[in-house]
Amino acid sequence: MYGGIHSPGPLPTPDALVDLARAFTPRVEASGPTPVLLDLQGLGRVWPSPRALGEALLEAARVRRLEPRIALAGSRVAALLVSQGREGLTVLAPGEEAAALAPLPLSLLELDPEREATLRGWGLRTLGDLAALPATGLAERLGPDAPRLRRLARGEDDAPLVATPRPESFACTLELDWPVDGLEPLSFILARVLEPLCASLVRRGRRAASLALELGLVDGSAHRRALHPAAPSADPRTWRTLLLLDLETHPPRDAIQALTLRAEPTPARTVQFSLLDPAQPSPERLAETMARLHEWTSSGRGGAPVLLDTHRPGAFVMGSFAPGPFTGDGALPGPPRIGLRVFRPPRPAQVSLREGLPVFVSAGSVRGPVLDRAGPWRASGDWWDVAWSREEWDVALAVGVYRIFRDRLREAWFVEGELD
Amino acid sequence: MASALKHTLEELLRVRRLQAEDPPLRGQDRRLSPLPTGVSVVDDLLGGGLPRGQVSEVHGPPSAGRTSLVLALASRITRAGALVGWVDPRDRFDPGTAAGAGLDPARLLWLRGRAGPPRALAEAVAATGTLLGSGLFDFVVLDLAGIPAVEIQRLPGATWIRLQRMIESTPTALVLVGDAHVAHGPGGACLALTRGSARWSGPPGPGRLLRGLCSELRAGLHARHPVTFERMAL
Repeated sequence: MYGGIHSPGPLPTPDALVDLARAFTPRVEASGPTPVLLDLQGLGRVWPSPRALGEALLEAARVRRLEPRIALAGSRVAALLVSQGREGLTVLAPGEEAAALAPLPLSLLELDPEREATLRGWGLRTLGDLAALPATGLAERLGPDAPRLRRLARGEDDAPLVATPRPESFACTLELDWPVDGLEPLSFILARVLEPLCASLVRRGRRAASLALELGLVDGSAHRRALHPAAPSADPRTWRTLLLLDLETHPPRDAIQALTLRAEPTPARTVQFSLLDPAQPSPERLAETMARLHEWTSSGRGGAPVLLDTHRPGAFVMGSFAPGPFTGDGALPGPPRIGLRVFRPPRPAQVSLREGLPVFVSAGSVRGPVLDRAGPWRASGDWWDVAWSREEWDVALAVGVYRIFRDRLREAWFVEGELD
Repeated sequence: MASALKHTLEELLRVRRLQAEDPPLRGQDRRLSPLPTGVSVVDDLLGGGLPRGQVSEVHGPPSAGRTSLVLALASRITRAGALVGWVDPRDRFDPGTAAGAGLDPARLLWLRGRAGPPRALAEAVAATGTLLGSGLFDFVVLDLAGIPAVEIQRLPGATWIRLQRMIESTPTALVLVGDAHVAHGPGGACLALTRGSARWSGPPGPGRLLRGLCSELRAGLHARHPVTFERMAL
């Protein structure tokens, strides 16, 4: 026995009919808000007759302020079509499906417009008209799919009911008998909550893209934190470490009485490893490491440098460190190059000139006569924004080789860095 | 016919990079293969490159080539797809010249110290420990150059032993860059650089360029036979 519920009018919530159906059976098929199909097998032991069951459905709908059409039939297609075509409650006895469907309009089959026009051109108006046609003739004229339409019009199923899974909810709450204060006892409690949560994620082939933690505190307030790591994970150890590291920097202001964890699920990713390319870092371990370095990264002092597309010397920004898949060609770098150890900010210098050439540099420990030099090399740019203009020299002193420059806008000398 | 097939096979291997860098095989102990710097004289001196799982050091005065040598190795590693961590308590690293030397900035985690706070060096050492403990990086640099020896000596005595113990079972190589000898592991390399001469593009005058720098390099604190380490200007 199957049940069909359909609401021609607007619904208070999109899931209103599904929720109504789930109150009677867990096996519910719904491709949208309406109609909804119920598998009522076995409910005969709870309700004395199909009509009593149908009336219970109607009563439950009234309680929820719904006015659906309900049909109970031996086939799923009959239950669905009759619920859409007849008002109120309809209960069909076995064998009555074809007769009940016969007067219903052809449009209930949701045919494509071209095929519906063809059938209307033949003078067919109802499901009964279609059901009365010979299957062989229909197949010859409309193709191999036509007999299936005829079977539907007669109330004969062409596929079994496929239950729609319940919406996934990955949340876990733990009320504590005694409040806990401090991260060490909390880490054991987090493990107790995270392990079943992550296990349920893994069972459904999911990972947690983010995790929301709500700590109920003794003073009645709630301490909420949300973690969004670079890569989804279902590893309880990783999540516990990330949560503890986050709580170290954002501790709750009072002892903890209850905790709730909510995971946002995402499908588990499938990674095809390469035989030829180097192994990529584990996303979980990378997220954990970056969380441990939160103090550096949060203040912009840690990450991967991103060079800016400008000639301004030393122009870069700190980006987040998230090395993607290796796409390089593996070509080896050329011969070693001179590295520059910069002073940030450039160190102000006193430079003595003779005939326009620097002969003595004094900038703290960088001090001495210029033994040799190359320059000047002039560069400027960004005149439309914050202009810069400089004259560069590479100078060899007794204490090392340095790059110095004269800021031509400020008329001041600086040591940019040490050539090492 | 056989030679043509062999040639085709070798060409395919070259294209697929199977022969380029000896990709690690599953189960292979990577600690046994050193990290080549790509500088032939240095690799010959070290017997193939810097040892993994060891604390090594590169020290010398300013302009002796400490940064160039470490950059050469870091560039080689990032070009092969591995990751490099660079802990820089004095914020002296220049990403522009590093990229010019061939380093892939996207595969570099750069931790920049704050000038001033007294615990900056201790924070940098702690961050180095975090990088080593992660096991993500093939090569980690702790740049101590420019930090007064007194400040380094103020660190707890077991600092370097602790770092050595952290990496001895991993394929990571840690290099301390300093003005003078700081520490190295029992199997680690100690490269001492001495400032040499500069090469210029011509006689003094306008348009002259710095072509390169030369230094003398010794492996070990008491090695007598130096090799010449040359590097070119960008």
